[in-house]
Amino acid sequence: MARASGSTWFHRKQTRELALVGCFLLPALTIFFLYRILPLGWNVWLSFNSWSPLKGAKWVGIDNYQEMLFDDDVFWDAFANTLIFIGCSPIAIALAFAIALLVNSDLKGAAVYRTIVFLSYPLMTVAVGIIWRWLYDERGGFINYVLRSSGIVDQPVKFLQSFDWALACVIAAEFWQVLGFYMIILLTGLQSIPQHLYEAARVDGVPPYARLLRITLPLLRPSIFLCIVVGILNSFTSFDLVYVMTNGGPGHATELLITYIYKAGFGQTRFDYAAALTIVQFFLLVVLTVIANKLSGGNAGSLER
Amino acid sequence: MRRAPSWPRHAIMIAVSVLMLIPFYWVLKTSLTGENIYAYPPRIVPVDPHLYNYVDVWYLIPFPRYLLNSLIVTAMAICGNLLFNTAAGYALTKQFPGRRWIVLLLLSCMLIPFQATIIPAYLITAQLGVLNTHLGIALPLLSTIICIFIFKASFESVPRSLIDAARVDGLGEWRIVVRILLPLSKSAVATNVILTFIWSWNAFMWPLIVTRSPEMQTLPLGLARFLSVLEDTTGALYAFVVLVLVPGLAIFLMAQKEFIRGLTSGATKG
Amino acid sequence: MSRWRFLGHRFVAVPLALVILIGGWNIYIAFNDDGRIRGEVRDGTGAPVPGATVIFFERNFINYQEMKRTVTDASGAYRFDGMQVHVGQLEARTADGRLSARRQLRLWFRAQNVEMAPLVLEAPRG
Repeated sequence: MARASGSTWFHRKQTRELALVGCFLLPALTIFFLYRILPLGWNVWLSFNSWSPLKGAKWVGIDNYQEMLFDDDVFWDAFANTLIFIGCSPIAIALAFAIALLVNSDLKGAAVYRTIVFLSYPLMTVAVGIIWRWLYDERGGFINYVLRSSGIVDQPVKFLQSFDWALACVIAAEFWQVLGFYMIILLTGLQSIPQHLYEAARVDGVPPYARLLRITLPLLRPSIFLCIVVGILNSFTSFDLVYVMTNGGPGHATELLITYIYKAGFGQTRFDYAAALTIVQFFLLVVLTVIANKLSGGNAGSLER
Repeated sequence: MRRAPSWPRHAIMIAVSVLMLIPFYWVLKTSLTGENIYAYPPRIVPVDPHLYNYVDVWYLIPFPRYLLNSLIVTAMAICGNLLFNTAAGYALTKQFPGRRWIVLLLLSCMLIPFQATIIPAYLITAQLGVLNTHLGIALPLLSTIICIFIFKASFESVPRSLIDAARVDGLGEWRIVVRILLPLSKSAVATNVILTFIWSWNAFMWPLIVTRSPEMQTLPLGLARFLSVLEDTTGALYAFVVLVLVPGLAIFLMAQKEFIRGLTSGATKG
Repeated sequence: MSRWRFLGHRFVAVPLALVILIGGWNIYIAFNDDGRIRGEVRDGTGAPVPGATVIFFERNFINYQEMKRTVTDASGAYRFDGMQVHVGQLEARTADGRLSARRQLRLWFRAQNVEMAPLVLEAPRG
C-alpha cells in the first residue's frame, strides 16, 4: 500500500515535471516552429504550386523551377553573383587570419587593435551601406579623392554605377564589416591551441613557418570551417548592404539571390516563384556547407556537440 | 632567446587600424561640414564644423517617431528573449524523455538563416494579423537559440546543492530561476541583452517586409527612406547615420567582453 | 553607503547619465521655446533705424521663401513671436531702398528663443 502510493507520488511528480518542462519550452519552440520550421516546409510546398494571395493554389509541379533554370537570365546572374560573393570570402578570411596572428602575439596594445578591427561588425548594415556609398561617391568620396590626387585616374570613377566595379565594391564593403568577426572567431581558435605544442616545436628547432603549417593550421580547422560557413551565410545577410548600395544595379550586376527573392516576392508579388528561388538558395547553402565540411577534414561534427 | 622586434607588427596593425577607421572618420567629417559636401577636392578636416546637421535630422524626417519605434521593438525583443530563453534554457537543464531530440531540433534550426524564410514568414505574420505592428516586427526576434544554450550552460554551472536546498525551502520552479539562477548568471543575462539589442536595433529586412505605413518604420527603414527621398545631397544624411550608429557602438564598447563571448560561444557550441 | 555602489557600475551609470542629460535638455527646451526672435537694425554708422522692415525667410528644401515680416520700433528693435522654425534667414530693408545682408539663422531646436546680432543696413547700390 505504502509502496503503491509512493509510486503514484513519484509518477505524479514526474508528470508535473514534464508539464513544467513543456510549459517552459513552449514559447521558444513556438517561435522557432513559426519562423523557422514551418516556413521551410511552406517554401517547398509553395515552390511546386502556382499561388498568389488573391487566387487559390494550383499544383504546377516543377514549372517554377523550369522557368527559373531555362527562361530566367536574371536568376543566373544572381546565382553567379552569389557564388562570386561566397567565393571571395576566403580572401577576407585570410586577411583576418593574418590580423589574428599579429594580434594574438604578445603585442602591447593588442586589445586596442582588436577592438578597432572588430568595431565595424556590430554596426547597422544599412548605415554601413550608406557610409560606403559615400566613400565610393564620384564627387565627395574618399576613394576617388585618393585615386585622383595620387594621379592614378584622371576622371572620377563612378564605382557603383559601373558594371565592372559595382560587385567588387559591394564585396569590399562587406569585407570591411565582417573582417572583425572572422578575426574574433580565429582568435578564439588560436587561443584554444595549447601553448606547450609550440614550446615543444621550438625546442625541436622547427622553423616558424613550419610551426604555422603543422600546428596552427590543422588545429584551427574548426574555426576556419566556421568562418567559411559565416561567409556562406553572409550571402543571405548582405541583403541590407546591396539594397542600400546599389539595389542590385546597374542592370543586375550586383543582384544576389536574396535580393532577387525579395524583388520577386514583394516587388512582383510572385510568392511561388520567390519560394522556388529560396529553395534553390537553401540547397546551395547546404551543398556548399557540406563541401566545406569535407574539405576541412569532416570534423565539423565536433561543432555540434 | 632572441626575439623579433615588435615595431613591424605595430606598423602593420596601425596601418590596418587606420584603414578600418577611415570610413568612420569620413562620415563623421561629412556630418559636421557646412552646406556643400560635393566640393572638390574634399577637405580632410571639415570647414567651419558645426552640429546643425544633427538638428536638421530631427526635424527633416520624423526622427523621434523612428526612434520610438526602434526602442519599442528593441524593448519587446529584449523582454521576450530574457523570458523565453531563460525558461527554455532552464527546461533543457532537466532530464526528460525527448530532450536529445529537442536539442537536435534547436541546433538544426540554427542552420536555417532567417532570410531564407521570409516569404512564408510574411504569410504567417499576415495570418496572425500582426502585419504593420510593433509585435509583428518583434515576433521573430523574440527568442534566440544561441542565447538558450548560453543560459543552459550558465545554469548547469550552478551547484546542484543550491537548487536542491531552495527546493527544500519550498521555492517554486520559476522562483528558483528568478531568485537563485539568474542572479548567479549575470554575464549570461548581459550577453543575451546585448546580442538582442544589437540584432533588433540593426534589423532591416524583416521590418522592411512587415511594415506598410511610414509611422511604423524603425530607424534603419527611416535611413533607407531618407536616402530614397532626399538622395545623398545633404550632410544631414550622414548626421543621421552617425546618430543611428552611436547607440550600437556605445553598447558594444561598454560590453565588448559579453558581446564577443556571446558570438563566440554561439560560434563554437554549434 | 555600499547600497549605492551599484550606481557606479557602467551599465547603470551610463544610462543614468544619459537620462539626466536628456531630461535636462528637455527642461531647458520647455522653458525656451516661445519662438521669440529678437534683434536690432542699425545703419552704417551704428545708429538704430526705426521703421525698417525685417523679413524672415523660411527654408523650403533648397530655397528660402518669405514667411513673416515686421517693422522695427522707435529704438530700432524688432521681434518675431511664435516662430516654429529651426532654420531660416533674416533681412532688413527700409522704404528708401537700403538693404542689409541676409543673415543665416540656425537654432538648436525648433522655436528656440534667440537674440540676434544687429542687422546692418548698407547704402543702396548703383
